[in-house]
Amino acid sequence: MATVEERVKAATARVLKLDLDQIKQEHSFTVDLGAESVQSVELVAMFEEEFGIEMEEDAALSVETVGKAVAFITEVCAEQGVEVEK
Amino acid sequence: MRLILVDSPEEVRGHFYPLALSRPLWELRCGFSSLGEKLAAKVGVSDVAYFVADYMADAYRAKVDRPVNETSVLEGDDLFIVDPRIKADSFDVAGSGPSEVGLDEQGSLLYARVAKADLAKLPKEDIRKFVAAAKANLPNVRPALPMWQYIWDLVLANSEQITADFAAAGRSGVEGIIEEPSAIRGNKKDIYIAEGATLHPMVVLDAENGPIYIDERVEVHPFSRIEGPCYIGKDSILLGAKCREGNSIGPVCRIGGEVEESIIHGYSNKYHDGFLGHAYVGEWVNLGALTTNSDLKNDYSNVEVMLDGRRSINTGSTKVGSVIGDHVKTSIGTLLNTGSYVGAMALIMATGKPLPKFIPSFAWFLEGIVTKGFGKGKLYETAETAMGRRNCQWSQAEQAMWDAVFEMTAPMRNKAIKKGRRAMLAR
Repeated sequence: MATVEERVKAATARVLKLDLDQIKQEHSFTVDLGAESVQSVELVAMFEEEFGIEMEEDAALSVETVGKAVAFITEVCAEQGVEVEK
Repeated sequence: MRLILVDSPEEVRGHFYPLALSRPLWELRCGFSSLGEKLAAKVGVSDVAYFVADYMADAYRAKVDRPVNETSVLEGDDLFIVDPRIKADSFDVAGSGPSEVGLDEQGSLLYARVAKADLAKLPKEDIRKFVAAAKANLPNVRPALPMWQYIWDLVLANSEQITADFAAAGRSGVEGIIEEPSAIRGNKKDIYIAEGATLHPMVVLDAENGPIYIDERVEVHPFSRIEGPCYIGKDSILLGAKCREGNSIGPVCRIGGEVEESIIHGYSNKYHDGFLGHAYVGEWVNLGALTTNSDLKNDYSNVEVMLDGRRSINTGSTKVGSVIGDHVKTSIGTLLNTGSYVGAMALIMATGKPLPKFIPSFAWFLEGIVTKGFGKGKLYETAETAMGRRNCQWSQAEQAMWDAVFEMTAPMRNKAIKKGRRAMLAR
């Protein structure tokens, strides 16, 4: 199974229409990857679908970087009993 | 005698959603005033008390100066309990007299006239028990009373109601200011311009086919044309509007573009061009520039509306526009299909295509799909800002009511979000 980081990067690449190797842990979704506000909503939706979780909108949308998204999603998965590859 | 208005159960109020999500049915408007004001005027009482759904009681209590959900009003006087869906104009039951309970064909209460002497027979700790006991213990009759059945009934009756309300108000003439040049068509007796209202130059009032009532402190900007029957509520501004027949607007609305046979509650804006026809619009709505609704299908068949997101209801009319809940915001260029339902607090960012006919409450419609968007917290922040701009306050009671509405409307919203996710993944 792919790791959380790999899955987050794949979902991000799909929504923002980027190549996987363009996405780094330290990248900001908005500043570095060019996500507009509507795409942020799409990203949250895509992560929820990818991991089968429910995220609180305010908290999810305040996550700025890919690395922080990986940590946040890992935490939510643990809280909601969803097994993932770290 | 005390008039008591008891709101209908949820399955009945659902016929008046999304407006009735956040107000009792008697606060819906038709003509110059609300259904409750019409009933109180018809019955001829000022002593009115209300029973509303628990979730909206605190918010409603803050808006009215009469008792809300207080069972103490069930004693001390003759009582006249009335279903708010009864059409006041044709309600000719005397408020005073011997006790009598009017029931419809299904046995639901239309009214209960309870003489003070009979109050001792009835339990007073709960309005539902009180009504049930009144039905069981007092003489029953089965009158045929015209009722409002669905929210579009109010829109379709609006022209006629404005004409009736104008006659009942008994006012005509100009107490405000008309700046010349202006043009008045029809009989000047069919026009009333209240004190403090100002009509700028180049305004046309056309009362040829119905009366025009412009209430206090209304401002009508140049190149507006107002056709009667029409009621413009206090403190509203028309901005070069093509105000066609049958509109009830305001108070405190900003209206431009073309509006026809529509009811718009207070504090809503449709500042710019775009057509709104046969629509019912709630409070604190902002319709972005070029927002347009269709009110007639290309094949001239009856318009159908989905009030619950599942079942289409044939309105029986070829002309029905949209029903738009409180606090809805639409982006520029929003296109609403014939008979659209836009749930309360929904935020719409148009894509250029006509929207789905049912947008759930609290939905963020983005990129052509219903999403969770930025959540209800952001919608509350926007509501607070919009209200602050008009010196009104977003209260804790209001937020608690909307939290309840959010939960009530979650099933349909979640279903629409899932559908949106599937569409997103298929892109």
